[in-house]
Amino acid sequence: MKYYLLYLDPGSGSYLLQAIIAAVLGGLMFFKNFWISVKSFFIKQKPKNVLPEEESKNQESE
Amino acid sequence: MNSIISAHSASYKDRDGFVFKYQGEYYRCINAGYNDHYQCLVQGGLYNELIKKKWLVSHEEIADTAAFNLPGTKIILPQQISVITCPYEWSFAMWQDAALLTLNIAKAAIEKGMLLKDATPFNIQFLNGAPIFIDTLSFEKYTEEKPWVAYRQFCECFLAPLLLQQYCTVDGGKFFTIYPNGVPLNVLISILPKKAKWNLHNYLHIYLQAAIKDKKEKNNAANARVFSKQKMLLLLNGLTGYVSKLHIKKTKTTWDDYYSDTILSNAYLHEKTKLVKSFLSSVAYTSMIDLGANDGHFSLLFKNTQKQIIAVDGDANCINDLYIKIRSEKITNILPVFNTLQTPSPAIGWNNTERDSFNERIKGDVILALALVHHLAIANNVPFDFIAGWLASMGSYILIEFVPKTDEKVKLLLQNREDIFHDYTVENFELVFSKKFQVILKEKITGTERLLYLMKKL
Repeated sequence: MKYYLLYLDPGSGSYLLQAIIAAVLGGLMFFKNFWISVKSFFIKQKPKNVLPEEESKNQESE
Repeated sequence: MNSIISAHSASYKDRDGFVFKYQGEYYRCINAGYNDHYQCLVQGGLYNELIKKKWLVSHEEIADTAAFNLPGTKIILPQQISVITCPYEWSFAMWQDAALLTLNIAKAAIEKGMLLKDATPFNIQFLNGAPIFIDTLSFEKYTEEKPWVAYRQFCECFLAPLLLQQYCTVDGGKFFTIYPNGVPLNVLISILPKKAKWNLHNYLHIYLQAAIKDKKEKNNAANARVFSKQKMLLLLNGLTGYVSKLHIKKTKTTWDDYYSDTILSNAYLHEKTKLVKSFLSSVAYTSMIDLGANDGHFSLLFKNTQKQIIAVDGDANCINDLYIKIRSEKITNILPVFNTLQTPSPAIGWNNTERDSFNERIKGDVILALALVHHLAIANNVPFDFIAGWLASMGSYILIEFVPKTDEKVKLLLQNREDIFHDYTVENFELVFSKKFQVILKEKITGTERLLYLMKKL
């Protein structure tokens, strides 16, 4: 064990780490949201590909 | 302190107040210096929210504090908790729920302008089948530029024991007995398998943190960097997602499926259940300790009654399954405790008085010792008089099963060892136990050679 560690505030060091973790998680969240918006863009497009017959059925059922 | 009051031996670290016992009840003294934070907790709405969610013990403020002779302080009487367990007596799911509760409280606090400054599992107890936070003084006013002061403590005190139970051994929580202030990350890393590093969260919270901890920061510029509420919530939500995805190591332990898989027949279990119920109906009691509870079959006979049941077993999987059952069925009167009876939790901490030993904490009116004595006497060489004395120290009545040498299970225990247990006879058992107990009821379990006794302490 490095003896100087005994004199360190137990919280020091983790301050920098928490900033790094928040940045990494923030980045992941950004890409996740981006991916969700990409997926939802294509899911929204899907009904256009539905065949006219099915579309009319769907409208009837509504 | 010029008072008749003295702080509880585990309540010496906090400068903001302390816990003390007065006329059989636990009180908490709040020093004047903490009053601003306390007012923020109570008047800012956090206290009410945590109480509503049953996350924090409720308390009442004592109006007349003259008897305590603690001038300038505020005294509160928290909701009392009759049985105190230590984190090293929890199973994986209990650890996980305690960790999630800590994070949820930290998030709720941030939203109300407060910060959870302490993240030790000793601040959590299990009450009515769920974890509850017991330290009312763990909150302080939150300033957005500061990160989570208890972050490292959370990693060493919660993540480390959880990861040991996920990657190494189902009873990894026991490491906390030797590291009650948190498992040092370098120790944790030396134990974890190499594959643990290949998980982003493990890497960030454990490996990277250990690497940073080992390097003295050259300047304090990083400390001065402004944190934010958004970053804090990212950290806490990230930890919540991470902790909820952790899982116990899948290992089949000795006592898994004991009742369903072993030679013990349904008829035997049925007969024994009938006898246990009938014997106990003749005793007035409010609390019971089920020693060697296994999957809690006998404890569960008394579920959702007024009886307080403590189900103790040395098999981490059994206690984990029992806790999950209690949680899912919302059973409120059974407390599962993971503890090895032949090596119970010791008294630890400062002056060996900070945390009481298992034997000092766990007491009950009735002690259930079913199919237990042969394991202690034959598998662990514990003499009958030791067992009798130990049980007598725990409760007033014992419901005890004697399994003779002719039984399949005892034969199995003696299979690969020399039979040095010449005094393991029913006559000697009764003789030794009669020095501490009086036999009230005795009956043979139909279809077996096993005997069931109800005894009362002399």
